[in-house]
Amino acid sequence: MSAVISTQKVSKVYNPDKIPVHALSEVSVEIARGEFTAIVGPSGSGKTTLLNIIGGLDRPTSGNVEVGGFDIDALSDSALIDFRKNHIGFVFQSYNLIPVLTAWENVEFVLLLQKKPKAEREERVRELLRAVGLEDQMHKKPSELSGGQQQRVAVARALAPKPDYILADEPTANLDSASAENLLDIMAKLNREEQVTFVFSTHDQRVINRARRVITLVDGKISRDELREP
Amino acid sequence: MLLRLAWRNIWRNPTRSLTVMGAVALGVWAALFMAGFVTGMIDGYTRSALENIWSHVQVHQKDFKTDYEARYFIPDADVLLTAIGSRPEVRGVSARTVAQGMVASGRGTRGIRIVGVDPEAEQGVSNMAASILEGEYLKGERSNELVVSSRLAEKIKLKLRSKVVLTFQDADYEIVSAAFRVVGIFKTSNTPFDDGHVFVTKKDLDPLVFPRWSDSLGLTGAGLPVAHELAVLLQDKSQAFALEAALESDHPGLWIENYRELAPDVAMYESQIAQISMIYLVIVMLALVFGIINTMLMAVLERYRELGMLMAIGMNKPRIFVMIVLETILLGLVAAPVGLLAGFLTVRYFSHQGLNLSRYSESLRAYGMDEIVYFDLMPVVYWQVPVLLVGTALLAAIYPAWKAISLDPATAIRKI
Repeated sequence: MSAVISTQKVSKVYNPDKIPVHALSEVSVEIARGEFTAIVGPSGSGKTTLLNIIGGLDRPTSGNVEVGGFDIDALSDSALIDFRKNHIGFVFQSYNLIPVLTAWENVEFVLLLQKKPKAEREERVRELLRAVGLEDQMHKKPSELSGGQQQRVAVARALAPKPDYILADEPTANLDSASAENLLDIMAKLNREEQVTFVFSTHDQRVINRARRVITLVDGKISRDELREP
Repeated sequence: MLLRLAWRNIWRNPTRSLTVMGAVALGVWAALFMAGFVTGMIDGYTRSALENIWSHVQVHQKDFKTDYEARYFIPDADVLLTAIGSRPEVRGVSARTVAQGMVASGRGTRGIRIVGVDPEAEQGVSNMAASILEGEYLKGERSNELVVSSRLAEKIKLKLRSKVVLTFQDADYEIVSAAFRVVGIFKTSNTPFDDGHVFVTKKDLDPLVFPRWSDSLGLTGAGLPVAHELAVLLQDKSQAFALEAALESDHPGLWIENYRELAPDVAMYESQIAQISMIYLVIVMLALVFGIINTMLMAVLERYRELGMLMAIGMNKPRIFVMIVLETILLGLVAAPVGLLAGFLTVRYFSHQGLNLSRYSESLRAYGMDEIVYFDLMPVVYWQVPVLLVGTALLAAIYPAWKAISLDPATAIRKI
């Protein structure tokens, strides 16, 4: 499989001029299309920093990041926003839906940003809400949905622009067991059937158990990179 | 999409949004109230000054106003009076004889301007008859009638039927004295004017001012056919300038002045009405800016994580900026009609009923202001308010919107 994400000796230092904090030290990793990868490690190990850097939310202090053939560091801020819009889907720990929009509108929002025509938007949103099992909740606002349902809407939103890969930062952290399993079932199915690439940062053993690759970070360095059988 | 999102965002916290909308509506109302009040006050002052004192155009002999000497009179005033009176734009024209002199009672003496008028013609250019508090206006039925202001009457202890002696210089520089009897006491809204004028009939004053001419010219009920001053009241004050130009062209030997030249204070107020309304609007809008900034800043700061998420999923900075600006403008635009309607109704009410400031009447009259202020507002102000409000909202939106787009999405998303 071709690498969709490639980092070469990526380091990240926060506060370089005051009290430097080395969040990542020369991390090199390649993630191929269709992977279902978990980045694990103790708090402060650099999981979120790595996720932010490969998601184009943050820039490395040194090293090189290539995602889907784009050199992330070479992109301007506005180009980076466009890149995120078209190539990456995000799922956040706290769902981070737009509270004033319905489930349907939240999923449709990214497609509106992409200026997709109405018919295409409607078809895609309906298809995604059906895929995450929320077709009958489409007119509800986030406050009217459970945590699990909100996270499923977030997954549908992340998938809406047909991204190259989805980055999920502790996606099950705020969910009960049943909701977490349900969400993982949906993501595993999308990965299996539609070859969507998922990269998780997580502490959750349930996620780790489902992952086919587990990258362990300790003190900003990769301490272990384990491939598992599906 | 942005408009829908902005509209829903402003209703996330209805209490806060309604509070700032209330402030905007109140501000708009206050701006209209103040502008209406000041415009009405200035308009009242202008109207009072023109209809009681200056009229719209005055005609004098060229040298008369240098020293107000009686010998500088308009010789064929009756002909000119008829010619001016026949013009369609003229509401009234009155010939006046004016003498600078003294009024003396048994209890006091004051320097005074004595104005001799034809009572009937004068009522066509002046509201003096309506300002009579006691007695009656000049009728010319008895000889040597005089009307005096209540303030002057009080100062030199005059009452109705009191006898006064007027002393002045005639057209031949002779000192003349004559006794007059008070038939009416008036009070206008202009204290300095009240303190400085008494009115008599022209037919009584003319023989005293022009003794050498009275036999040859022939005294009529309206006095002699000469005058020091012709006062012209027009249908509309804007016609004053055309009439002035026409008279100057026809009568190069006369000194023609429009009301702006006669009363520079009126001209100044008149030219400032628009600016004053605008100043009030701007002051109110500036005050609103800070309230709106505060509200929008709170709205941005409490949505920090959400804004970070929007940037993460691909909403670019210009769109976020526009969204915050739209929210701010919507806050203003929702509130503006309420304030405009309330302001319109308030101005309309007080334009009919007037705002009674009689408690301050003494102070107001010292400045020539009416004690009842009838509000007035230029229609353009109702357009200026929404335009200014959008400008205000734009101004108020800049800082919160800048704050929103300058956040770091990676940090903002993790903010609790």
